[in-house]
Amino acid sequence: MDLKHIKAAIIMALAFFGSASAADNAANSFFAKPLWDFEAIAGFNIGGAAPIPLPKEIRKIESYNPNLNLQLGVTVTRWFTEEKKWGIQVGAHLQTKGMDTKASVKNYGMEIIQDGKKLSGRWTGKVQTHYHSQQLAIPIQGVYSFNDRFSVNLGPYLAYAFRNNFDGYVTEGYLREGDPTGDKISFDADSRATYDFGNELRKFHWGLQGGVTWTAFKHFNVHANLMWGANGIFYDSFKTVTFTLYPIYLNIGFGYRF
Amino acid sequence: MRQSILAFLILPAITLQTACIREEALNAECDIVAVQISQDILSRSPIISNNEVTIIVKDGIDLDGLAPVFTLTPGATISPESGTPRDFNTPQQYTVTSEDKEWSKTYTVDIQHTNAVVLNYDFDHVRQVPTQSGEGSYDVFYKVGADGTVSLTWASANQAFALTNSEGTPDTFPTYQFDDGKTGKCVALTTRSTGAFGLMVKKPIAAGNLFLGEFDMTSALAQPLKATHFGIPFMSEPVSLTGSYRYTPGPEYCKLGDDGKLTPVPGKIDEFNIYAVFFEVTPEMQWLDGTNVMAEDNPNIIAVAEIPNPVPAEEWEDFMIPFTYREGKTIDPDKLKAGHYSITIVMSSSKDGDFFSGAVGSTLYVDDLHLNCK
Repeated sequence: MDLKHIKAAIIMALAFFGSASAADNAANSFFAKPLWDFEAIAGFNIGGAAPIPLPKEIRKIESYNPNLNLQLGVTVTRWFTEEKKWGIQVGAHLQTKGMDTKASVKNYGMEIIQDGKKLSGRWTGKVQTHYHSQQLAIPIQGVYSFNDRFSVNLGPYLAYAFRNNFDGYVTEGYLREGDPTGDKISFDADSRATYDFGNELRKFHWGLQGGVTWTAFKHFNVHANLMWGANGIFYDSFKTVTFTLYPIYLNIGFGYRF
Repeated sequence: MRQSILAFLILPAITLQTACIREEALNAECDIVAVQISQDILSRSPIISNNEVTIIVKDGIDLDGLAPVFTLTPGATISPESGTPRDFNTPQQYTVTSEDKEWSKTYTVDIQHTNAVVLNYDFDHVRQVPTQSGEGSYDVFYKVGADGTVSLTWASANQAFALTNSEGTPDTFPTYQFDDGKTGKCVALTTRSTGAFGLMVKKPIAAGNLFLGEFDMTSALAQPLKATHFGIPFMSEPVSLTGSYRYTPGPEYCKLGDDGKLTPVPGKIDEFNIYAVFFEVTPEMQWLDGTNVMAEDNPNIIAVAEIPNPVPAEEWEDFMIPFTYREGKTIDPDKLKAGHYSITIVMSSSKDGDFFSGAVGSTLYVDDLHLNCK
């Protein structure tokens, strides 16, 4: 599934480049310097892995901390003409995505795994979640520039997560072992059961990204991008969390254009 | 400036999350949470577990035509309906269906007379109860009465141990049947490590235990001392507890620290315990639990029999423990007849097991218990 999407995206990108170079009608002019922009960017991501819509199991968000998720990378833009109206942009961004939440849930699918032993069932009570993912993202964006100050971009992104954490604990509530008819096991404020779903997190992601760039100074850009994941953060085979969590992040970045 | 941008960005994110809390789903649980039956026939409050209800009524009450009324998880329904008269000379079944209609559970409701007293315990009968995963099972000891029906079921914490041993065979649990008893089979109690799960909830060991009463699974992790509800109705005057035991302490006694971890105590040898407590049941104290079962200041305790010298024994060792009456305490014959007293027998492979201290591997075998009465 992931590979198919990646392949499609690469073919799409090549087709863009291909048609662009064909339009230029000369192989060496593809690399003509005025058509290229190089930019180093640094920024941060704010958002979370959110189910859309919020499932009925979640009764209250007690706390939410978006964390400081940093982003570093380079972006290359190849404009189709020297007027720099339309172009295509490919980036390589190292980024983190994460959040800390505490929620009150009712009848929420839960699996506590310790040393290969598994205790699963439905949890009613508090759930603390820590999500942290380090990724290499490749956005492939079409760019349209309104003037020399302001441009917009839209396109898919691919991401590979090389480090993934999704863990936390449950407390102040009770587990119905297995299903809602199972034994009821209470946990008070002093007792916690930890869980770790890190191994169930997807490594390849793709999604849509769109944003705006404002050129504040000659070499200095400010970007705002919304990245909306098309995959849930977990593998489809992972059934314990009964709803799909989509990574949705707003990125604010600052770029230096060479 | 940058901070205000941040605030501007975070606020919508939070609003998005909190504004979208959806209407609560219908309840998925289908529990009997309480039972009402005419107060003056009850000998004590009903016992409700996850799929059984035991109601103990005064002697002479006609069990045919009793119509218990059930309080259920909000929105759940029961069939046959609450308040339907049924013949409780045999246990009756009820099906509770959840509010969302997705789940249902069958309860067995058993109404018994107070005087179903058993005095001999040979540990020859067990049934295997599957763990939630269905891949393992543990033993539950019961006693068959003169009429061939189950007249008494012993309680243990095996059900809680199943959380960490869901695929285990019965003999990997703390409480299990052993083939080589003094006569026939016997009960074996072994102090076990609770593994990673136990460590997580700061309960690193589980002593083998067996007692007369009920084990309250719901409290097992949160308030383990309160999970052991000691006592069954008893209508005779106890004099002594006799039986036979074998005991081998585990190699290394460990004490539970505040951090939830075990620390070895060099030189300390684990001890087992066998005791019986005869006590008065009052509305405030329907049963004893781990916090007060032996407490000197517990006004409900009438008499206690505790093994005086719990030394290791490789061969079967017989014991006779007399009941010692607490100062100023006597048995009121009227209350005895009315079923206002209870008794419990408690056995543990590690004396400090209720505080999660002891030696893993300590094993106590007990057979042929007998309560001698006046």
